[in-house]
Amino acid sequence: MTKNKVAITLGIMCLILTAAVGIQIRTIESTSSTVKQTLKDDNLRDAVLKWKEKYDNKYRELEQSTQQLEKERQKSTSTDATSIEKQEELKKINAYLGLSKVEGQGLIITLKDNVTSKIGTAEDVVHDGDLREIVNELKNAGAEAISINDQRITPSTAITCIGTVILVNDEKVGAPFIIKAIGNQERLWGAITRPGGYADILETYLTVDIKREDKILIEKYNGVLTNQTLKNEE
Amino acid sequence: MIFIAILIGCIIGAIVGMNAPIISYTMSGYLAISIVAALDSVFGGITSVLKGNFDLKIFVSGFFGNAILSILLTYLGQRLDVDIYLAAIVVFVGRMFTNLAIIRRYYLDKWSKKIEEKKANRQANKQEK
Repeated sequence: MTKNKVAITLGIMCLILTAAVGIQIRTIESTSSTVKQTLKDDNLRDAVLKWKEKYDNKYRELEQSTQQLEKERQKSTSTDATSIEKQEELKKINAYLGLSKVEGQGLIITLKDNVTSKIGTAEDVVHDGDLREIVNELKNAGAEAISINDQRITPSTAITCIGTVILVNDEKVGAPFIIKAIGNQERLWGAITRPGGYADILETYLTVDIKREDKILIEKYNGVLTNQTLKNEE
Repeated sequence: MIFIAILIGCIIGAIVGMNAPIISYTMSGYLAISIVAALDSVFGGITSVLKGNFDLKIFVSGFFGNAILSILLTYLGQRLDVDIYLAAIVVFVGRMFTNLAIIRRYYLDKWSKKIEEKKANRQANKQEK
């Protein structure tokens, strides 16, 4: 075998190899493979985590500033009798609106999906409507503060369903649902446990647990209440 | 002569590859495995050249035979729902690494020997003076 022959065969082989590599690269570039897809997903997940961290940091800053504001307010109003009165009023309104952490006697209601059911119908899971009904009954019985899985119910709270999870205050909550309510304990208890009440109906296909507590802590609302079109009429 | 042929082959191959039509996605899996197989035999060829037992017949048959065999095995694996191509990749890439290590050692040895020779030459010159 002459040297020329060797050179030509090697050249042809290199040609085939590089051509194949080029075709392969171009094919892969033009299609989205699963590897690319997972890479994209990972990047998106990373971005979400980063944004969440940023959000948490900002939220902490906001909390610190509100605390500072509170201190300043106390300092400036501590001398004047009318301002103290105003301050008390402000606190009361904030507690009522859900802008401050509150405690008191009340009920803790736990709603769990029915896991013992063998058939697994739509009724075996807790729906947004169930939560709305319970909240409605609690409000009707004079509950002063309500939270679902530490999401405070405010005047602007909506309880909605997006597929498999329930949104309260635009935050996702999942089973088990722990509904805390502060108010007159006897009245709340009577309203919730009355025969034919909504909790009574729910108990036939869900796990409902109602407890009386003398000291319940309810977290404050994590968002900001805004009013853009509201105006006070004098 | 051989290096020129390889260079020309690579350049023409790159041009052809850039202008060739795109193949379907299912076929690209087979092409990828055959590329890995061909690359493996290229590195094997370089190693055998360094060792001095290079045989063009073995090289060419390994180049095409490995590529075609790996494609057939991948196809069989898809029929049987077993990822045979994973085994092919492990074997080929593992061999590529061993071959690369042999090539690296060969050139490192050559290089260090050259340096030592130079040192010895210098010392010999000094002693003569």
